[in-house]
Amino acid sequence: MTSYTLDLSIISKYLMAVGLQSAEFVPPLAIAAYAMSALSKSLVLPAGTIHASQELEFFQPVPMGATIYCQGRVAQKLSRGKLNLLTIELSALNQAKEKVLSGKATLVLQN
Amino acid sequence: MDQELSLSEIRQGVNLPPVIKNITQKEINLYAEASGDFNPIHIDEAFAAKTPLGGTIAHGMLILAYVSEMMTKAFGQKWISTGKMAIRFKAPARPKDIITIGGIINSIEHRGDTPYAACNVEAHNQNGEIVVTGETMVKL
Repeated sequence: MTSYTLDLSIISKYLMAVGLQSAEFVPPLAIAAYAMSALSKSLVLPAGTIHASQELEFFQPVPMGATIYCQGRVAQKLSRGKLNLLTIELSALNQAKEKVLSGKATLVLQN
Repeated sequence: MDQELSLSEIRQGVNLPPVIKNITQKEINLYAEASGDFNPIHIDEAFAAKTPLGGTIAHGMLILAYVSEMMTKAFGQKWISTGKMAIRFKAPARPKDIITIGGIINSIEHRGDTPYAACNVEAHNQNGEIVVTGETMVKL
């Protein structure tokens, strides 16, 4: 698992990027982004990979300054002609090891 | 959260207040820095020009962030604490696009005694082309 401490310096970059002035809690899509980033440490995706679909579920808010623990894994890989479809499962836990987010992404990789 | 829907407003057929975003390469680059996703399809114009997409595109997760912003504005902490989304990416969002993210409460469902708002959500660009479509659900 990869841990992220979501202090203001990290979250402010995210807020600026998505056009939010402020947030009471860490935006759940920020947590999803960090969970995807955690996976990229162990899975190198080829340039040009496209996001085809995304499922996410949020279980509790994450306060600013909290530490989350993220992991991702490849759940399925399918080949269809010139394309590879990858299904990725994501999850994030809080400091009490309670689930805050889970999800599944489908990515399309060019051969 | 001044656009948050009151309980009396949460009913079938109610449109969610839309969110409108201008996509720029600058914001795409900022999102790459914030998320750690430096896929050149998003940030390398020379690379992207040689792909079938013909140019850089916004991260799918950036567009989902806008969907989540719309849901947060409508449902407040209920979305952040219990939200579910299932989204399909239909077309890329490109620099200079104006993306409108909207939704509608499709139904109020009950699981036991607990009500949920089931919504259809959609984002389209200035040409009316659908960028993302999907469903969300929030515990009320």
